[in-house]
Parts: sequence; C-alpha cells; structure tokens
Amino acid sequence: MKYPCGRVFVTLLFLWALAGTCFGAADYDLLFRHSSDLMAQGDLDGALALLKQVPTPAASEDASAFVSSRMQAGRIYASQNATDKAIAACQEVLKLFPDNSEARNFVAALRDQLKPRWHTILSDILRFLPVLAKGALMTLLLVFCTMLVSPLGGLLIALGRISRVRPVSGLCWFIIWFFRGTPLLLQLFFIYYGLPSLGITLSPFLSAVIGLGLNYSAYLGEIIRGAIQSIEHGQMEAAKAIGMSYGQAMRRIIIPQTYKRLMPPVGNEFIALIKDTALVSTIAMVELMRAADQMFNTYFNITALVLAAAIYLVLTTIFTFIFEKIEYRAGIYEHR
Amino acid sequence: MNIANQPLLKLENITKRFKELTAVNGINLAVASGEKLVIIGPSGSGKSTLLRSINLLEEIDEGTIRFEGREVGYVLHNGRRQQDRPQAISALRAEIGMVFQHFHLFPHMTVLGNVMEGPLTVQRKPADEARSIATDMLAKVGLSDKRDVFPATLSGGQKQRVAIARAVAMRPKMMLFDEPTSALDPELVGEVFDTIHTLADEGMTMIIVTHHMGFARELADRVIFMESGNFLAEGTPEELFGAAQDNERIRGFLNRLL
Repeated sequence: MKYPCGRVFVTLLFLWALAGTCFGAADYDLLFRHSSDLMAQGDLDGALALLKQVPTPAASEDASAFVSSRMQAGRIYASQNATDKAIAACQEVLKLFPDNSEARNFVAALRDQLKPRWHTILSDILRFLPVLAKGALMTLLLVFCTMLVSPLGGLLIALGRISRVRPVSGLCWFIIWFFRGTPLLLQLFFIYYGLPSLGITLSPFLSAVIGLGLNYSAYLGEIIRGAIQSIEHGQMEAAKAIGMSYGQAMRRIIIPQTYKRLMPPVGNEFIALIKDTALVSTIAMVELMRAADQMFNTYFNITALVLAAAIYLVLTTIFTFIFEKIEYRAGIYEHR
Repeated sequence: MNIANQPLLKLENITKRFKELTAVNGINLAVASGEKLVIIGPSGSGKSTLLRSINLLEEIDEGTIRFEGREVGYVLHNGRRQQDRPQAISALRAEIGMVFQHFHLFPHMTVLGNVMEGPLTVQRKPADEARSIATDMLAKVGLSDKRDVFPATLSGGQKQRVAIARAVAMRPKMMLFDEPTSALDPELVGEVFDTIHTLADEGMTMIIVTHHMGFARELADRVIFMESGNFLAEGTPEELFGAAQDNERIRGFLNRLL
C-alpha cells in the first residue's frame, strides 16, 4: 500500500516545490532527498517525475540543481535500459553546457552501450573463429576417417550376421551387442585409458578413430543387414538361376540395390557422428567441442559456444544436403 | 549306351517335403533333348517345387537328378547325402535357364545390363562380347529399342521377354518356365507366348509349368497332369485334352480352366 501514499506525498511535494519556485527560493535539497527516497523504495517513475520539476534555468541563474536533476534522471533511465531517454536527458544539459564533461562522458558510455554488442560480438567471433575452425577441421577429419572405416566394418558385420557359419554370425552378433549396448564415452575411455594397461598405447587420434569406427560399424552393420534382408528374395534366386555364386549375387545384384534404402538411415548415423565426435574431447583430442570449451573457459564468453553450435549446424546441414542428393542418385533407376 | 537316346534330364524318385507336407512325391521323369514338356495341374500340386528342384533352388530330400547322364547337385559325404559344392551347383544352373512368374529382373540395371549380366559375370566374357550377345538376344525377343531403359518402365509382357532374353543369353541347354504368363494381364500373354514359341522352334529343350492350356496344346510334345506331388496322367496334348480323356479329375480341372 506504499504506492498511493507515495502519490499523495509526491503531489504535496510538487505543490511545495512549485511554491518554492514561485518564491524564487531555488532550494532543491529536499526534492533531491525525496527523489532518492522514492528510488530506494523502487518507485523510479515517481523519482523521475520529481526530478523533471527542476526547470531549465535562465542564463543568470544557478544551474547546478538542473544539471544534477538531469544527470540523475539519465542514470535512472540508463538503469531501466532506456538508453535513448538517458541520452536525451544528458543532452538537455549539454545544450546549456556543451563542455560539461560528466554529461559528455555519460553520453559516450551510453552510445557505446547502444552499438556495443555487434561490435564486441564481431571482435569475439574474429578472435575465436581461427581456433574453432582448426577444431572443426579436426572434427571433419575424424568424421571422414570414421566414414571410411565404418561402412566397410558395417558391411562385414552385416554379411557375418547373415552367414550360416555359426561362429561367424555369433561373433558379429557379439560385436553389435557390445558396441551398441555400452556408451561410446566408455568405449573411448577403455581404448585410450584402459588399453595401455594391457600394453597397447594408442595416440588420441588413433583411439578416437578406432572407438568411433567400431561403434559406427556396429550400428551400420545392423542397418546394412536390414537393407540386405529387405531386398526381395526373388532377386537372389534370379541371380543364382543364371549361375551366379553367392558372392557374385551379393556384389552385383543385392548390395547395389541396398544403396537407396541405406541412404536415409546412414545419413542419420553420419549426422549423429558429427555430434558424437564431441565425445573424443574427453580423451585429449582438440576438436571443435574442445576448442570451444577452451575458449569459453579462458574468456568466459558464451560467444565461443554459440559459434561452435553454428559451425556444427553448418556441418550437419551440408551433410544432410549431400545425403539427399546421393539418395536421389542411388535410386535413379526408379525415377526414370 | 547310345548317347543319342540318352535323355538330357532324368529325374529318379524325386521327393521334397515341407515339414508335414510332401510337395513332390517320388517323381520319375525323363526329358529328351529338344523335347517340350508342359506340366499342368491345380495350385499347390508341386509343379513349381519340382521345377525349382531341377535347378537346385530347392534342396530335395530324396532322389537323384541326372543331367546329360551325370548325377548332379548332391554328393555322398561319409555315407550321408548332402549338397554338392557351391561351384558345381552354380555351374549346373548356368546350363539350365529359368524364367520366373514374377520376372525378377534386376531393377538397378538397364535392360541391356540385365541380359549382359550372365555372360559378363558368370561366364566372364569380355564386355564387348557380352554386349553383342545381349543385343542379339534383345533383338530376338523384339526389345532392341528398350535396351537402355530400366525395367521399372517396362510392361509386364516386356519384362518377361527381357527375363527370357536374360536366361537365353547364357546359351542354356534347357529352359524351365515357372508360370511365365500367370502374372500378366491377358492381353500381354500373347507376346510372351510368341517369344517362347520362337525358342521352341529353334529346338530348345523346355519344361513349362503353366495354367494356359493354349500353351500346352500348341507347343507341347508331352503334357503331364500333376496333383498332390504325383503325376496323375501323362500323354500327348491330344490324349490329355481330347474327348477320349476319361479321368474325372482331369476333365473337371480342364473344364474349370476352359
């Protein structure tokens, strides 16, 4: 219930101030004190209304109260993020006293705040970009290495799973079961930190490629197996009927027909891969995520993270686009 | 033994079971070189299974298959009968052409590619030679103008003619047709029938499983009526389709079809 009381109080104060002005007794001490009280109570609008009562002085008059009131109003506006109004208040002062250094500095600082962001963000971006670009290159290198390894591994695992030789299909089942069933992070830790205790020490890069390669081979293995088994059985029979061996039929007839069906899920996997490479930052690999993290921790600047997110988005967008094109081309025999 | 009299294909006591069902029940059959044999009978009578057993797409439970006098497909290993080496099985299939009801063309290859595939991959002929064989075969089935299109754009009749060209491109010694016109619209049956007829006129040995009695009448040297895995009757088209047919079941079957 403070507010209505405040209003009445302000009104009385106003009348009192008006009276004071009329009598030429330009004593504003009380006004400033009450406006400070209002500010302390959180009634900034009330404080501003009071401060505005201080009139523009005539040339001969003492202007200190006027300057103080406008500067105080400017600070209140600035605290409300009303930068334009704050500048306007300061410029009232500068109109009378162009050399008032307090007002000038304040306007300069306010103007700085106005354009500020773009300027500083741009300089942040320019500062972080080279570091992040280097990280992004490493991310891309990891993605490409995994994209080379995992389709081959996946094909072998898929053919192994289909095989009628029990030990082979059992082994491939185990690989899929293990690598799909445990976190990639744990697999990476095991390869990088665990294998040395077995006498196998691998570089971070090699560990990362092996970990990502095995993990994605397992996933792609299941996808490829599904695609192979989705090809109509008659295709295998027709191939066999003209005398093809199982291998020839797979290589010439069945597998080429899986390409189109493989593209959507494989594209999905590779986009997931781009993001999963962030996990290798935990085994001392400096790639995009790690680079962004380092910049963030050095400068406490969130721009580094936003920029990293943007780079990830650019990469995934490009990959999505490429895979759509490949999918179309792989199925071209169905469109013509 | 006189080679001229030796049948190209000889089946002895062929038996194939699917769990409880005996699809083919101790069939004996000899097919002479150049003979055109048509097998008719109701669905589920084992016709297709018998045909598929000949080129080893089905593994039979009992019996022997002799092709050109030699036993094929199965060997005795430690006293147990088992499938022959994959290479031997593939080699036999390369000599016996097969045409399926649903064509099974390779959709990712052009028409020419489909027909070339056997000579190129199985017989390992140079690409030029395979291409010229395929071109000849396509001319023979009247589809030279379709050589560069994909199968998806063809009509059913055209697809089946390509499938025939694909099989014949291997220069097989005999052809098996598994209901080659059953998946076709009636107006497309004629063109496929004409293609098969052309092959027959060239002296190709063939076994045709079909529901089209026109085939049997016009083309067959011998017609076999099959039911429940057994041969119920066998004879020339005149004998089987003629007025003299006294078997009630066959008469009933034929009357339903005609």
